[in-house]
Amino acid sequence: MAPAVHASGLVKRFERTVAVDHVDLDVQPGEVRGLLGPNGAGKTTLLRMLFGLVAPDAGSIELFGRQLHGPNRFPLDGVAGFVEDPSFYPYLSGRSNLELLAELDGAGARQRIDDALERVDLVARARDRVSGYSSGMRQRLGIAAALLREPRLLLLDEPTSGLDPAGAREVGVLLRELSSQGTAVLLSSHLIGEIESTCDSFTVVSRGRVVWSGSVAQLRAQAPASAYALATSDDERALEIAEIHRGMRARRSRTGELEIEMMEQELDSYVLALGRADVAVRRLELRLSPLESTFFALTDGEAPHPAELPPPDEAVLRTA
Amino acid sequence: MSATEELARPAPSPPALTSPSGMSTGVGVRSAYRTERRKLATQLPCRALALLCVLGPFAFTAILTSQTGSPSDTIFGVWVHSSGFAIPLVVLAFAGSWGFPVLAGVLAGDIFSAEDRYGTWKTVLTRSCRRRELFVGKVLAAATFSAGLIALLAASSLAAGLLLVGDQSLVGLSGALLAPGRCVVLVLTSWIVSVLPMLGFASLAVLLSVATRNGIVGVLGTILAALVMQLLALVGTGTWVHGLLLTSAFDGWHGLFTTHPFYSQLLVASIASVAWITACLTAAWAILRRRDFAGTPSRPPGWRAPLRAVVLSTALIAVLVTAGSWGPTGVTAARLTHSIAPTFSNLTLLQQRLVGRTGETTANLTILAHCGRRSGTSRGPGDDWYCTVDALIAQPGAVPFWGTPITYDISVKSNGCYKAEAPPTTVGNLLIRDSHGHQVVNPLATIYGCFNTI
Repeated sequence: MAPAVHASGLVKRFERTVAVDHVDLDVQPGEVRGLLGPNGAGKTTLLRMLFGLVAPDAGSIELFGRQLHGPNRFPLDGVAGFVEDPSFYPYLSGRSNLELLAELDGAGARQRIDDALERVDLVARARDRVSGYSSGMRQRLGIAAALLREPRLLLLDEPTSGLDPAGAREVGVLLRELSSQGTAVLLSSHLIGEIESTCDSFTVVSRGRVVWSGSVAQLRAQAPASAYALATSDDERALEIAEIHRGMRARRSRTGELEIEMMEQELDSYVLALGRADVAVRRLELRLSPLESTFFALTDGEAPHPAELPPPDEAVLRTA
Repeated sequence: MSATEELARPAPSPPALTSPSGMSTGVGVRSAYRTERRKLATQLPCRALALLCVLGPFAFTAILTSQTGSPSDTIFGVWVHSSGFAIPLVVLAFAGSWGFPVLAGVLAGDIFSAEDRYGTWKTVLTRSCRRRELFVGKVLAAATFSAGLIALLAASSLAAGLLLVGDQSLVGLSGALLAPGRCVVLVLTSWIVSVLPMLGFASLAVLLSVATRNGIVGVLGTILAALVMQLLALVGTGTWVHGLLLTSAFDGWHGLFTTHPFYSQLLVASIASVAWITACLTAAWAILRRRDFAGTPSRPPGWRAPLRAVVLSTALIAVLVTAGSWGPTGVTAARLTHSIAPTFSNLTLLQQRLVGRTGETTANLTILAHCGRRSGTSRGPGDDWYCTVDALIAQPGAVPFWGTPITYDISVKSNGCYKAEAPPTTVGNLLIRDSHGHQVVNPLATIYGCFNTI
């Protein structure tokens, strides 16, 4: 079966800036691939090229085995999603917007409007004007608009931006459900946690180039140490134990908090060692996951100091 | 299960990407057209314009009928109290100058740039609709609404005239009375032939909307272009540039109201309109086809592009002003003389019938006219034309009677239409009493006429 996306040697320049620099990308049917990169890495331009909104200066794009660009460009049947924020006509209701888009989608799309609205939990507000929607509601409407097309390839740019945690989790579940039905998903996100939990694989881009591509398992195998913030009943003793513990580094932060860096699998033995030494662990927070550490290493970005990172519930790494 | 293993799991067969013929065809122009039509119909400016087109003529006619004055500067203006058919023609003449460019600007000047303003290009272009289908759909929707508003305005104007003034015969542009049935046909034809230049302005608005991505420029630019064209029509004596102006194309219907209708100006107007439509839409599509929808530019727009546009527009206007005298002159003393003599003859007979004198006919009335300009050569449009008219009334068995020569001050436009006015001391007041004692318009006080300039 032809890959859902097969992009080869894509180049796009804007004046003197090279936004996308010889990018190769493949997404198979049923695969959820994350597209990760810092601001200005070229993720959105890449998505725009896949949608046919931007013509590449070099390279080729095949969607399901068919060339996208060129004089005989075919319509984007089976391809759905959005780039940047989903945009709609503010003077129309959410339902009217979907009706207009369904008209452009052709047969059958109109019949899927109710189902799509239900899936994104927008039925109650469907008749309100979009101008009154919150950004999260627009995001959900964007997903509903994508679902109208019964997509076989979903291209999504920050789909959970503006959604509450429950909404973001629902989107993740929805994407997994679609992928289980054979839909290929390319997901650009600044939420590393989202990439980790939803994607089968991911591609990291930096300065327009692909710097890493592979599965989550491959990443984990080569992930560097994670960073934690630690509070104990006896921090001095915890530091001493850390010094003799193999494969970890520990230090006090500028705020006096204890910071440790270690491989995930070493964490259990260190905590047990603290317990054996009668040092109670009062707080242990993950500040930088392996994936985040890898991301910073790959993109030449300087990882923020763990003490500067937000607590885990809000520990979202903004990369785009 | 590893990610690689997960990827290897069998996926249900996806639906076919292509049509049975092997080529995916998209949803087509019809869907794009329906979408755009619906969007336009829900927009407040379009609804307001539709309401204005329905109610405006009634309000205009009601105001006119409540006062004795008339918009005599507009062709057929003096007849608005005498015949309901003058109402739609006055509205048409006024709309041709300002109304249609405004309608076209509002309808089409924002139809593409609105997608930029709302950021919805990426939404509509990522559906099953090709870029060219969307372009054609938008253009067709703008054309439909343009034609629709013309139809509304025409129907409303005609209805207002007939209901509030009446279906009396109308004095044509050769001075002859046109029967109500013929008036209906001519009025409707006049409105129908105005659709093409209206579409020309709509195409210009589309081009501005696509090129500038700015709705304000799309709307106001179209109106400004109409203003410039109006001014260009006043400059020079040649017919080449004047014939290409879209505002001139709105005057093509005048030839239908003469005793011997002429269609060459209508033909030129239609050709010019089609040329404008083709050029504007071709340029608009060329811009849209090549456009990258790369999001909001990181840098704010500079001053170079607007400055370049202003310089180029100024240069173009300067060239057109210079070219205003290129080509043969359509307005000459001979043509004016040839037109005003029979018109005056017809109007004289009409005046005589109104006051109860039925003896004179065209057979015993001979009109001699001499026309010229008070300054410069007697050619080209201007307000300083004059015609001296002599009427010779042949009476059987009597010496033919020569009336006092009447000198009309005449304003002649580049399209060959003119308005002639004479002092009340020679032709009587604007309003006279007919044989039944009713106050009626004196046909000889203000004369409208048109001659073929080609």
